[in-house]
Amino acid sequence: MEVASKRRRELEAAVLDKVGEVISAVRSAQRVDQVICALHSLAVLLFPLDYSSLLSGSIDQRYRDQVLSAKVPSEEERWEWWQAFYHGAAYPTLARVLLLDVASNWLACFPLSARVHVYDVFFVRGLSSEVVQTLVPCLQQNASDGHDINYVLSNTERLLVHCLLENDGVLQMAREFCRSEDSISEWTKPTVARLAQMVASIPDKARLRAPVSLSSHLFFKQITIQLLSLAEKRDEKVLDKVSFFSKSDVDDALQFVGETFSRICRRGSADVLLSEISPRILRHVQSLLSSDIDSAVIDVFEAHPGSQFWLKMIEAIKDVYAVERISEQLLHHLVTEHASDVEAYWILWLLFHRTIRHQTSVRSMFVDKFVLWKTFPICCLRWILQFAVLECPPDSNSLTKGHSISGLVDTLQRLLAVWSKKEFVQSASMEQQTYVSAAVGLSLEKMSKEELDETKDVMHLILQGVSCRLESPNHLVRKMASGVALVFSKVIDPKNPLYLDDSCSSDIIDWEFGLATPDKGNLDTSDCTEKDVLKSKASILAPESDFNHTANRGMSNNVKSKTKKLSEFKIADPDEIIDPVTLNNEPVSDIDDDDDNASENSESSSDSSLQPYDLSDDDTDLKRKFSQLVDVVGALRKSDDADGVERALDVAENLVRASPDELRHVASDLVRTLVQVRCSDLAVEGEEESAEDKRQRALVALLVTCPFESLDTLNKLLYSPNVDISQRIMILDVMTDAAQELANAKTVKPKHRTGSLITSISESQPWFLPSGSGPPGATSWKEISDTGTLLNWSSRYERELPSKSGQIKRGKTRRWSLRSSSVQENQMEWSHNKFPVHAAAFMLPAMQGFDKKRHGVDLLDRDFVVLGKLIYMLGVCMKCAAMHPEASALAPPLLDLLRSREVSHHKEAYVRRAVLFAASCILVALHPSYVASSLVEGNLEVSKGLEWVRIWALHVVESDTDRECYTMAMTCLQLHSEMAFQASRALESVETTFKTRSVGLPSNLSQGTIKIPTHKGNIDFV
Amino acid sequence: MATIVKLQHISSFRGKGTRNLIREGMSKRPTPDPVAVLRGHRASVMDASFHPSRPLLFTGSADGELRIWDTVQHRTVSSACVHSAAHGIICVASSPFIGANKVISQGRDGTVKCWDIEDGGLSRNPSVTIKTNTYHFCKLSLVKKPSAHALQAEGHSYHDETEFRGTFDLESLDDSKEKAERGLTECSNVVRAGELSHEVEVWDLNTAERLVQLPQSSVGGSPNISTSERGMCMAVQAFLPTESQGSLNVLAGYEDGSMLWWDIRHPGVPVTSIKFHSEPVLSISIDESCRGGISGAADNKIVMFSLDHSMGSCVVKKEISLERPGISGTSIRPDGKIAATAGWDHRVRIYNYHKGNALAILKYHHATCNSVSYSSDSKLMASASEDRTVALWELYPPKT
Repeated sequence: MEVASKRRRELEAAVLDKVGEVISAVRSAQRVDQVICALHSLAVLLFPLDYSSLLSGSIDQRYRDQVLSAKVPSEEERWEWWQAFYHGAAYPTLARVLLLDVASNWLACFPLSARVHVYDVFFVRGLSSEVVQTLVPCLQQNASDGHDINYVLSNTERLLVHCLLENDGVLQMAREFCRSEDSISEWTKPTVARLAQMVASIPDKARLRAPVSLSSHLFFKQITIQLLSLAEKRDEKVLDKVSFFSKSDVDDALQFVGETFSRICRRGSADVLLSEISPRILRHVQSLLSSDIDSAVIDVFEAHPGSQFWLKMIEAIKDVYAVERISEQLLHHLVTEHASDVEAYWILWLLFHRTIRHQTSVRSMFVDKFVLWKTFPICCLRWILQFAVLECPPDSNSLTKGHSISGLVDTLQRLLAVWSKKEFVQSASMEQQTYVSAAVGLSLEKMSKEELDETKDVMHLILQGVSCRLESPNHLVRKMASGVALVFSKVIDPKNPLYLDDSCSSDIIDWEFGLATPDKGNLDTSDCTEKDVLKSKASILAPESDFNHTANRGMSNNVKSKTKKLSEFKIADPDEIIDPVTLNNEPVSDIDDDDDNASENSESSSDSSLQPYDLSDDDTDLKRKFSQLVDVVGALRKSDDADGVERALDVAENLVRASPDELRHVASDLVRTLVQVRCSDLAVEGEEESAEDKRQRALVALLVTCPFESLDTLNKLLYSPNVDISQRIMILDVMTDAAQELANAKTVKPKHRTGSLITSISESQPWFLPSGSGPPGATSWKEISDTGTLLNWSSRYERELPSKSGQIKRGKTRRWSLRSSSVQENQMEWSHNKFPVHAAAFMLPAMQGFDKKRHGVDLLDRDFVVLGKLIYMLGVCMKCAAMHPEASALAPPLLDLLRSREVSHHKEAYVRRAVLFAASCILVALHPSYVASSLVEGNLEVSKGLEWVRIWALHVVESDTDRECYTMAMTCLQLHSEMAFQASRALESVETTFKTRSVGLPSNLSQGTIKIPTHKGNIDFV
Repeated sequence: MATIVKLQHISSFRGKGTRNLIREGMSKRPTPDPVAVLRGHRASVMDASFHPSRPLLFTGSADGELRIWDTVQHRTVSSACVHSAAHGIICVASSPFIGANKVISQGRDGTVKCWDIEDGGLSRNPSVTIKTNTYHFCKLSLVKKPSAHALQAEGHSYHDETEFRGTFDLESLDDSKEKAERGLTECSNVVRAGELSHEVEVWDLNTAERLVQLPQSSVGGSPNISTSERGMCMAVQAFLPTESQGSLNVLAGYEDGSMLWWDIRHPGVPVTSIKFHSEPVLSISIDESCRGGISGAADNKIVMFSLDHSMGSCVVKKEISLERPGISGTSIRPDGKIAATAGWDHRVRIYNYHKGNALAILKYHHATCNSVSYSSDSKLMASASEDRTVALWELYPPKT
């Protein structure tokens, strides 16, 4: 032993001497050949060199002899020298010289063969771990010592690519760690970590112009492949050691793998890592599963040599963050590779079954983080629950319950604690909510009634969560509640499932709730109310053209039905058929004529003449028809007479639209009764919708025909404690509709038409023929021959006219007028916005009491849906009054309302969306000149409000959790910039007028600012 | 045979009307509209009656107004308030047997008034006023005779008044049929001696005296047929069948749905008692031959029945069930071909009187129909309704 150490020391000294010699030779070299010679003298001691190739290079004859004369040591000597060189201080010293001095001064002159054999060889054939340690720091060389830094760096990069990637340097390093047992130096854990860190840092240290293979994606991919080949190739040596050490500790090679992987993850390339790992492990598991299904699977996995690497790999990764990233990416990759439940379970088991038992962090990652705070596709959730919660292998494709349910109960309770909270419903993103709901549902499915009974507060929490979800304005959230409730009811009583929603009638619940997976980036939250907001948002700038339809809808419906009924009657008088008077006028007697009349007094007369008429009978006319509004009010109040209420609702809209004189007096009463009618109680099953619709239409009609009286009552009712939320929402809906209808009111004006006064008759036609003019579709004139007399003084013509469009046939009365049909064609419709007159009456009373909390009224907190609707209604009102002076007058109070903290920062996204909508409406509604003049006159209220809109929208864009809010805020910002642009133009024109009048701008103009957000930054307009 | 085919061929090209016939024969014929609607009453029209020979229509309304209409011009000839507005008219009646220029109005004020029709209107005062002291819903009935006799009797009816007035007994009726036709049958429910009596009274129209009570309380003292439990008398129809040798017969319908057939010769005991209806009988009509009739009630049935005078029995010929209950008036056309009913469901229904099948459902009125009535020439029908209108219809008009 002493001899060995003494010998080693001698050897090291010799190596150092030699290196010193070489270095001084290099330093003092005048020619490149001298450098090559010096390096060769060392290289020949360390590596087996191929001379022929070296000599083929163009070295000077003198030096070639010197090279050739060098003494070639034996294999054994060389190995000793190599050991001493790389494990000692010699290599770092030489490498420094090589990488800096030689590289910058001489390397460019090296012939290619020389570079390969006497320069690169020191790195390529060296000890990889040492090589890396010398190469990597070199990447960050500064240009200090007069070296050509560019060349140094590019050379280093070249060497790195050459060593690590082309020559599998990373794999060699791992092997070196395996061999460390019998090598001279002992690898300490920090060293391994430092090396892994170095390797992983290479892509970041490389310059921009470095080879592509050093870019993080390709580089990490390469080294991952190299490291995974440890598992792939079943490297005997490594795996022997792995299995040998499996009982005690992870060995250095795996530690290096683990460290490298965790560094890769830390550097954000977990997906690259897993894109290599997951197919391999999936293939491995698939091969095992297909080969042997019957025997106990766990044993198969444990015993298979290929599994060893995977079993230990995660254990080797100490970094919790990296483990988390790896698990996440693994799950996502397994989804894209369509792994089955069984495969996924075994993959998770293979990788994590040890760590999950021993490391609490991993355990909590699975049962806490992955279930509660992250979102995965639903199938991942199933795998996670199966692996971490149920802890047993699954049946073919369904969750299976293991023996112990404590984990399940724990998880369920934790899930429910989160799920049932109102704050979670308010603040969590939709994907998160879906995910957690699915987790609750899936784990609830595995519970039995007895187990549920044993748990403390599970039922209570479920009820709480369901009830707070059912109140949500979001359709999807309600669906989650009904889904969970269905599962819950099935657990409690499988025979009597509870369907809260008509749509989910099947037994299998779609836990994704129709939500697309996040991979597709398509998260349409199919929410009805959102759609409403969206739709109206889209139509902020484009007025809805089909609105006049609503106004006439009631009327035309009625007319239509009447026409339909009447058209069943034929024109002919049926009595004519039997009437013998007409028959007797004929020269011949009719064979079919009734003999009844002939035998008037005979009892045996046949009654063939008594041909029955249409005997169909219905009782529509028997129902009492309401023709007076007072009757309608009376009938609506009799809530016990459902039939009467229904009929009253039927006629209410038409009666109101007819706007009789007494309307003003009964409007208030009618509004009140209409609001308080309980449509759902009265209407027949399945017809609640139409009754509700009729009621709303009647209310809209009232608001349109008689705005002030109706609004007075409606606004009182809005904040009255006697109405419930649905009625409040209905009131606001009705007001919204009415505002839109008023804004799109149409008036009909006759169009002046000029016609030719003199008609020309074509030559081809005889003068006595009637003119061919007439409505299109008329047939040509035909002469009728008169059979009666021979002498015929007049010619008679007939033709058939098509029935006119819109012609109404009322019984036997026919209107023969060309005018009637063309009236509609000649009329032009003028739209006239009637709304601004009423805008204040619509908006101001409704804005007054929104923040007061009274009995049954709590808009800011409990009834947030009403608040959202209210703000939406106000926004629509603003839009309807757009560009009118009233809009300018009403904008400041509305902005005040929106600015109040409890509104603009409301917990519910629904309210925030409404605020964004209303703010956008204000931006659209304000006339630019008004904005400009308010700036000029120093109207701070407006300018501050608008500035607040901008800032707040920016804030929402940056920090809001709700996706919808984000897009709406973007639109709002866009509208703001447009408004600011228009205002600045208006301001310019104001300035010019001021100048021409030689009036100086008021000094306080500078107080108002409009900021235009652009991508470059904010430009302030003064 | 060839000619028939040819005629058919011709007839099918005759004109529009025939084409309609052919077309309508395939599909359902739409129900006709009224030929005229008489408006002018200010309250529910309770009854309508045609003048036996002239084109006049008498209508009485619930506010006591009696109107006379010209059925050709469809105009009001005259109008008079003949009963107090508070009580109104229940019934107007006219018959060839009481005189061509007379009309009778029955008010709910307990009076029956007989009016002379002068040119241009009613007489200022009624020729006869009978204070019956009855307050009820039953319309009076004038005696109906088989039509063959009625035509013959028409000429004699005026100068026999005095004879009829003198003595009224069953034998004298038997002797001269003409004498009885001025008898007036009426039902009453006079409260006597503390118990409700539901009786039919027969009054002489000329003397304004009550002739007989049915059932006659004095006879026998054996009320084996008690009418009190039958409830009020709701409808009566008096007729003089040829088989009864001139003795007056009365059909009376009661509140419990039963009908009694009285022969005035046996005022104590009805000829027969039948119960076709489950609800109060509201209307009874007898055809011109007096061999059958039709009855309507508050239930959802119309019953056509036939009277067998030799057996003294009344049997159901046809029972028609209705969708909606309530027939307030019935009428059989004088030619006996069709019958009409006035329904609470606003409809007038037409039936083939012989076969009993439905012919038409006339939807015009938008309120309860109170009565229907046919003109003596069978051409017109009038329907009176609570909607204050009288509609004139021409359905299946007979060949003149």
